[in-house]
Amino acid sequence: MSAPPANITLTSSDGVDISVERQVAERSILIKNLLDDLPEEANTESIPIPNVNEVVLKKVLEWCEHHKKDPPASADDDADSRKKSTDIDEWDQKFMQVDQEMLFEIILAANYLDIKALLDVGCKTVANMIKGKTPDEIRKTFNIQNDFTPEEEEQIRRENEWAEE
Amino acid sequence: MPGQSPFRLDEGYSEDTRSQSGASDVAFRGDSNMDDVMDQDTDSILPEWLMVMTEEQRSEFAYIVLRSLRTSSIAAIVDRLNPLLHIDPVLRLPPEIMFDVLRYLDPPTLLRVSTLSKTWRSRATDSRLWRKLFGSEGWVPDIRRIRTYEAAEKARSRGSKERKMRLRPSVTDIDRHISKKRAGERRLFGEGGSSQEAEDSNHGWAEQSDQVEADDSPMSGAEDRMQDIAFDTPASPPTGDEPMSASTPLPTFDQLQPPVKPTLLTAEPGEDAKVNWQYLYKQKRRLEENWNTGKFKNFQLPHPAHPDEAHGECVYTIQYSATHLVSGSRDHTIRIWDLDTQRLTHVLRGHDASVLCLQFDERPEHDLVASGGSDCHVLLWRFSTGQLIHKLEKAHTESVLNLRFDDRFLITCSKDKTIKVWNRRQLLPGDQDYPAPVSTSARFPSYIVNAEDVINSQTLHSIKPLKPFSLLMTLHGHTAAVNAIQVLDGQIVSASGDRTVKVWDVKTGHCLKTITGHLKGIACVQYDGRRIVSGSSDDSVRIFDRVTGAEVALLRGHSNLVRTVQARFGDFPGNEEELEAEAREIDRQYFQAQLDGSVPATLTREERHARNNGSSNPRDIQAWGAKIPPGGGGSRWARIVSGSYDETVIIWRKNHEGRWLPLHRLNQWEAVLAAGGRPRTFPAHGQQGNQQAGTNGAQAGNAQNHAGAQGQPAHPANPALAHALVQQAQMQIAQAHNTIAHAHQVVNQQGANAHANPGSNVPAAGSSTSSMAAVASSSSSTAQQTGAGTASPNPGAVHVHHHHHHHHHAAAVQAGTNSRVFKLQFDARRIICCSQDPTIVGWDFANGDEDIMSASRFFGEEM
Repeated sequence: MSAPPANITLTSSDGVDISVERQVAERSILIKNLLDDLPEEANTESIPIPNVNEVVLKKVLEWCEHHKKDPPASADDDADSRKKSTDIDEWDQKFMQVDQEMLFEIILAANYLDIKALLDVGCKTVANMIKGKTPDEIRKTFNIQNDFTPEEEEQIRRENEWAEE
Repeated sequence: MPGQSPFRLDEGYSEDTRSQSGASDVAFRGDSNMDDVMDQDTDSILPEWLMVMTEEQRSEFAYIVLRSLRTSSIAAIVDRLNPLLHIDPVLRLPPEIMFDVLRYLDPPTLLRVSTLSKTWRSRATDSRLWRKLFGSEGWVPDIRRIRTYEAAEKARSRGSKERKMRLRPSVTDIDRHISKKRAGERRLFGEGGSSQEAEDSNHGWAEQSDQVEADDSPMSGAEDRMQDIAFDTPASPPTGDEPMSASTPLPTFDQLQPPVKPTLLTAEPGEDAKVNWQYLYKQKRRLEENWNTGKFKNFQLPHPAHPDEAHGECVYTIQYSATHLVSGSRDHTIRIWDLDTQRLTHVLRGHDASVLCLQFDERPEHDLVASGGSDCHVLLWRFSTGQLIHKLEKAHTESVLNLRFDDRFLITCSKDKTIKVWNRRQLLPGDQDYPAPVSTSARFPSYIVNAEDVINSQTLHSIKPLKPFSLLMTLHGHTAAVNAIQVLDGQIVSASGDRTVKVWDVKTGHCLKTITGHLKGIACVQYDGRRIVSGSSDDSVRIFDRVTGAEVALLRGHSNLVRTVQARFGDFPGNEEELEAEAREIDRQYFQAQLDGSVPATLTREERHARNNGSSNPRDIQAWGAKIPPGGGGSRWARIVSGSYDETVIIWRKNHEGRWLPLHRLNQWEAVLAAGGRPRTFPAHGQQGNQQAGTNGAQAGNAQNHAGAQGQPAHPANPALAHALVQQAQMQIAQAHNTIAHAHQVVNQQGANAHANPGSNVPAAGSSTSSMAAVASSSSSTAQQTGAGTASPNPGAVHVHHHHHHHHHAAAVQAGTNSRVFKLQFDARRIICCSQDPTIVGWDFANGDEDIMSASRFFGEEM
């Protein structure tokens, strides 16, 4: 890290230019790969992010700024999914205390920008909103329209009894 | 906007994300939802002066307006805004992201989620999710069988489509396949009733069923009916599977997609059917539930209708695979059985005395059975043909008690206190597996050279390659018989009558570790790379950490020598670090508790003696520094099954504290009764008993003939049988004084074995005595053996007896049903064990359930 922090410019879908430290932006694998492929002098131009609007992009970059020194994600996907821990560190938890619109926008942006750690935090947040709730509570949480007939719902509920501890 | 930019984003990536989402119009709107709503619906009715305000100003203005309203009006507005604040993620997020969300949910939550809406249900029943859940339980699927099955299904459905020229909804097609498959499987072993029924009513049914399953015959309709006839006979038990049969209309709720009940196969539209992991997961859970609650069906080898296929004497060793079981007996033979039909396929004759140990690998690249016996020989056979291919004449100087082979080596151990290592493939100095003759604990034949010397002196050309099954080294170190060995990843683990377990390096012969803990000789051992599980004549099973040798659990429950044990800890792939972390954490708690003074620094004698059966409570900790936690770690499905000279098999499970406790105690003789006494060919138990008695009576007769013809009353076969009969008779006399129902059953069983009156009860003792008299001529020589005390019917365990044979002798007389368990094996679905009784018995925890049977062939054989 001898070179001074170089800034780059991202352009959001609604046409707003955002200047950001390169190291921060490179939490996005999409942006990192793009920058790696570009000639050095082209880095002064702005990079369009056509799928993410200003509000969401700023929010995502806020996360990237906080996590810019994190070690690169391990490829241990199996171990991760096995433990299925939905523990989220405190800062991230607070970061994710947003309305559902923003939550899903962040998740979609993280997916698009290829920021796996942020995507994971987002998915865990949604999973935590499901855990420990009754079906009715979950429906209420997400405004889910129940399109089963009462008979169908009862059949499915009875079929699922095998999993009860 | 972006289009003018000199940079080009990775378009493929970008476009992909959009198109995959299937909700891109919603998901990637440039502006917030609120703005859209305003744009579309409210723009026109809002005055211009309001619209030129900034977002913040409008918010403030709206708040002021809202505050001017009555609470009920505010509530109504909140209600109307609710859909904007609460967004259904399955409609907003693309399926692959929902997949990532649902990955974090456990099965009960996932199933709860499946009741929310049809879209949620289709996401939550995603087979790939359940594939992960299956693995996360520590369960191992048999991927090879799954792929083979899927390929066969694919070929079948292609074939049937071409022939039928008739389009059917794919789901119905799949259901039909499943119902056929299931019907075909009803003749699987363990479902003795139907297989007998099928054989009796229709010879060669197996071949016909293949045709039916191929589903390419113009007669398939008729064949279906035939199946129904074959299985709807009154004798066949109700299976609950009938509604699935093709002729019965499906219940209306099955119009749901996927069907309410998960099916074995599932197909995405336009894709080939694949095995449905939700189905596998569900059936595995139901199977585990049967293990927990002790629900099983017994079966036996030989098939009750073919008693003539039985071994003539006690069976010392078995091993089985998904399709076959191989057994070795005191009658000098090895028998290969087809587990589906319960029929004998080969008898391997070549040993001159009892067969004590064997291992087989039926895979074509191995096609091998290796066996060792009291004749000190090790014999190698072709599994497929039963042909003897190699004989290691006098491989040891005394009985060969156990052997194991892997891809590279054959390891044998003996009553002569040594372990020998043999190569399976030709070897030259310098080869990876060529021994490094440097150790002092191993002795190497003179033809084993130091590879380095040879290569340095360039004399390799003068060295002849070692032929397969050459002796590579002899391991010395045990001071008593070596009763059992295991080999894994280049390490040999041996268990001896000298009360120790030793770990050896297979290449150098170094003894890497000696593990103590058992108070008496060790009869059996299992090694999975991390834990060593051993059974001893101190009546206990113990679990040791391989790395440190620490004893991490002591399992008490048997009342006699533990002769056979198998453990399955259900490790997750690559969980060594977790195990170690867990062990360290428990150590830390222990030392913390010591500092607190909540546990004493030293243990009382009683506490030390009590040991630990797996508890992580600091008060129970006796060993620390191990790489695995107390009890050995593993998943919550971890299971140990042990068999003992107390004539029982114990299924051990960890309780919520991690303590290993006996969950079920199975009786070998009860299993024989249940397996043979089922009313299929014989309507009543009594008659079945008759059948059994007839079998064993015939054996007794044979024994006599042998003795008479050869004039050798001391022929090894005869004394054993006579000995057994004497024991039985003694027992019956002893038990004649007992009036409890239990004794009644025991006598009943003995009566059957000893050719007494079927259905005998207390008075039967008399007739048993007379049957003893019938073989008196041969038993006279046995009397000395019996008197000697060490003449155990099991030569393999003689040395284990050395320390305490009085104890065993007494125990044998106490129990006396002649069903000391010699060897058992369990897999996902069943336990099979052999014993003093020539009948091999099994417990099938599928318990006749079609779905469990259908799924369990895909459950792997994890250690």
